[in-house]
Amino acid sequence: MIALSVAAALAVFLLYTSAFGRGTPTISPGQLPGTHGRVSVVGTVVGKPTGDGHQQALRFVMRDRDGTKTVPVVYRGSVPDLFKTGREVVIDGTLVDGTLRAVPGSLVTKCPSKYAPAKSA
Amino acid sequence: MADLGRAALIVTLGLTVYAAVAGAWAARAHRRRLAASAGNALFAALGSTLVASAVLLSALLRHDFSFTYVADHTSTELPTSYSISAFWGGQEGSLLLWLLILCGYSAAAVFLNRRRAPDLVVWTVPVLGAVSTFFAFMLVAVSSPFATQTAPAQGAGLNPSLQNPYMLAHPPLLYLGYVGLTVPFAFGMGALLAGRTDERWIVATRRWTLVAWTALGIGQLIGAHWAYVEVGWGGYYAWDPVENAALMPWLAATAFLHSVMIQEKRGMLKVWNVLLVILAFCLSLFGTFLTRSGVINSIHSFTESSLGPWFLGFICVVVATSLALVFWRLPLLRSKTRLESLVSREAAFLYNNLLLVALCLTILWGVVFPMVSDLAVGTSRTIGRPYYDFFLRTFGLPLLLLMGIGPLIAWRRASLRSLGKTFLWPAAISVGLGLVLVAFGAGSSKPGLVAYTFSAFVLATIVLEFVRGTRATGSFTRLVSRNRRRYGGYIVHAAIVLLAIGIAGSSAYGSSAERKLLPGQTMRVGGYTLAYRSLTQHRDPNHLAIRAAVDMYRGRTLVARVEPGKNDYFAEQQVSNEMAIHTDWLRAEDVDVIADQIEPGGAIYFKALVKPLVNLLWLAGLVFLCGSLITLWPDPREERRLAARYYALAHG
Repeated sequence: MIALSVAAALAVFLLYTSAFGRGTPTISPGQLPGTHGRVSVVGTVVGKPTGDGHQQALRFVMRDRDGTKTVPVVYRGSVPDLFKTGREVVIDGTLVDGTLRAVPGSLVTKCPSKYAPAKSA
Repeated sequence: MADLGRAALIVTLGLTVYAAVAGAWAARAHRRRLAASAGNALFAALGSTLVASAVLLSALLRHDFSFTYVADHTSTELPTSYSISAFWGGQEGSLLLWLLILCGYSAAAVFLNRRRAPDLVVWTVPVLGAVSTFFAFMLVAVSSPFATQTAPAQGAGLNPSLQNPYMLAHPPLLYLGYVGLTVPFAFGMGALLAGRTDERWIVATRRWTLVAWTALGIGQLIGAHWAYVEVGWGGYYAWDPVENAALMPWLAATAFLHSVMIQEKRGMLKVWNVLLVILAFCLSLFGTFLTRSGVINSIHSFTESSLGPWFLGFICVVVATSLALVFWRLPLLRSKTRLESLVSREAAFLYNNLLLVALCLTILWGVVFPMVSDLAVGTSRTIGRPYYDFFLRTFGLPLLLLMGIGPLIAWRRASLRSLGKTFLWPAAISVGLGLVLVAFGAGSSKPGLVAYTFSAFVLATIVLEFVRGTRATGSFTRLVSRNRRRYGGYIVHAAIVLLAIGIAGSSAYGSSAERKLLPGQTMRVGGYTLAYRSLTQHRDPNHLAIRAAVDMYRGRTLVARVEPGKNDYFAEQQVSNEMAIHTDWLRAEDVDVIADQIEPGGAIYFKALVKPLVNLLWLAGLVFLCGSLITLWPDPREERRLAARYYALAHG
């Protein structure tokens, strides 16, 4: 009986994960070229962002956390308070002609951690 | 001063090592006086850890920036209460708080159980000592809160999101919960080591588990309320790894609290209980590992720290040792009785356990998926909200239903006729309510409708139980005080039902709108009209407050004026979103207004959300606390019963 229930729970789990549960790959800007479909990109904001995300799309450039490869990003939706040059951000989107077309509202900033604040130099 | 703190921690480390090593040897060689001395070492460790904590606290209050920790987490502008909360605002302080609570729990648990269950405690002391040794070692050698520097003129301040009354209570409560799970774990391991695998370790730690579980539950709800009120995105739970880190041990502990009753009453599920307590404890360690190691992408984003590998190593050691122990004692863990029927109280408890553990493990899978996929295929893949929502529905809704069935069904074997009699009314009520809800348009969300009807069913069974019981005993208070565990448990169940209704209402039946408004313009959301009037700003001691005045109308009548806006913190150089919440008690819903983006000209992008029944979540917290306190409250009659039982077990 126990085995049966465990098997049932497992079956639901496996069915679900095989059908939808592939997850979104989390990659860095440098790994973007050649990807198809939706990915989640983690990187640092470089240069000066333009637009406000509402009237005009927010445009900015993301760079690998420890690297030099970059990708331009076009985004619409609410822009977090902490978004600015130098911040690490996570954003979902699809690569189209070398530009990351972001999913509206998917921009998340990784705030300087509450557990280890960024030291001001 | 810092030297005093460092010295106190080194003393603690020495004492905990002594408790572990001497305690283990004493227990093995049956040296009673040495065993007592090892137990005393745990009391002394509490003393020295208190000294270390006092040193850190006084440094925080004096803004002594020669302590690196103080300079990194406070500034002179920071109000006193937040200077205190900075104690756990950073990694080193959090670890110290962890050790302090662990020493407190250990000392209390050893003190209270020494006489009652001496043969169990001799083996529990070394386990507690070993766990404390790990934390003391981390504080002495890896991550010391007493590092010093030449004092800068001003500190870095505390992250603005943490400058909130909730943050005074949320982290300590979570720690009380996380760390509290060490006590049942240590007693469980102590029982295995001592070869005393009867239910005594469970009886001895029932209250400890309840305390930890209550603290963890309340701590999470406070965290959810904080996220809702302070973070300003209109939600309260985002399935973020860090949030899941607290939910998983709570789920495991919930399963444990239920399954121990089966062992107490029927002598079954011994192996399962030991495994659950190991799971709960390891998940609490894993939570800390997650938040400290930087292996996971989370909104909470913890910078990578040196603690990760240490914690991972410790978890591996704990898992390996405790599983080896279980395996070694397997012959002693055989059940005395077997499950007689699939329709019985035992079986209902079993289903409940399977569902809770299944939910816990699927969440765990979601949390570790980025790491697993990184190792397996080279890219880290994240699993999003739909995955968690799906499994919350698949496992959570049956759990909700079981909560109504389980407590009323007979032990051993229930007949269909008695089932029909017991559940006729609750079932009728819930079906009736379901039909009414459909008529009112609740059919727009099927999971929401199911959650509502199941909730009505469970509430009906609980109310009926109270009515029947009160009739039988003649007095409501006598009923509850005579059987605290049972009726306290029902109250906790009622709290979970409220929680379920709140979650279903706010997530399945909410509405939202977004618009850019100039002063004078209006927008509509779920039956409300919002009129943006003006923008103002004023200066507070440590921040600049920018507020938009928004009038909220329902039809033509003015309901409220709300002031969403932003705070600009000086020392921290950060901006925080200040969401405005209007609670409409009559309609049982919240209207949240967020000034998402404020433009120099005064135009604002507003986001507005209507969240029905969201306040039931917070009410559920209060009911939950009441129920837990009732079950926790010492009961002299139960104490006598237990004393007799201990005696029989020790001499039988």
